[in-house]
Amino acid sequence: MPQQPTNALLQAATSTFEALALLFPEPCSTEGVEFIPLSAAYSVTFHGAGTGRVVVGVTSGVLPALAENMLGAAAAPDAQLQRDALGEVANVVTGNVLPMVHGAAAVFRLDAPLAVTDAPFAPRDGEQRVALARVRMDEGDAVLAMFSGVAVETATDDTTLAGRA
Amino acid sequence: MNLNVLIVDDSAVMRAMIRRTLGLCGIAVGEIHEAGNGVEALEQLGEHWVDLALLDVNMPVMDGEELLTRIRASEEWRALAVIIVSTESSDTRLARLRAHGVEIVHKPFTPEQLRNTILQVTGLTHAAATHERPAPSGDFDF
Repeated sequence: MPQQPTNALLQAATSTFEALALLFPEPCSTEGVEFIPLSAAYSVTFHGAGTGRVVVGVTSGVLPALAENMLGAAAAPDAQLQRDALGEVANVVTGNVLPMVHGAAAVFRLDAPLAVTDAPFAPRDGEQRVALARVRMDEGDAVLAMFSGVAVETATDDTTLAGRA
Repeated sequence: MNLNVLIVDDSAVMRAMIRRTLGLCGIAVGEIHEAGNGVEALEQLGEHWVDLALLDVNMPVMDGEELLTRIRASEEWRALAVIIVSTESSDTRLARLRAHGVEIVHKPFTPEQLRNTILQVTGLTHAAATHERPAPSGDFDF
């Protein structure tokens, strides 16, 4: 049975941070999320049974912990690799949240993660924000948003994830 | 037996993570080859002997589903052990993939999930796949 989008986003975020990066998030208030100083945010656009985007942004302490836990401290992930790791988290969260919201029969195609630098949690023209969630970990916070609809293409700072082949 | 593994994923981070998880899950691995899409994977299969392929689904150029179809249509690779490692959750698409005789590991996954699925698709016992010696029986003579 389809879930309410915010609950689904929280559930997908929790399982992804825990299993992929050994970080243990707890939900917290979304009040003032637009003023949180993020160190990076990534967006994954989906097409198919529905169209939209999922955005995941994190504060500075989360990024190195994320990459080290995903890739191992020996890999000494540099700044780009740390951002790529966040892009992968966004990709996995998106893949997991969609069947929770749209049902297990729905088929989707996901685009490669894109870095977002401009108002990551605000809907663009043509979009509607359907979920906003924030989680807190020992290392810092993560904010997640889900948008439905197709954004009208405008000049943007988004850049494709460097680590994608 | 050391398994030669091909990891196919368009994300360099995910390839590195799968490589690391393979090391953590205790399976004895020989050579590890990587490809960023289905076309590169077919090139790798043409150049190296591979015992196990770990495939993502959503990839540019050639996706995992088409790659799998080509592998199963190939005289040389039709019996290759394949695991789909993906965020794919659609029952429709997963059923289509399983019809090709593959198992699915859903991202995010644990080393134990990956190890158990590898044992399942390769048919290896835990001892054979990890080079563990069976526990000695009888009394110890100190």
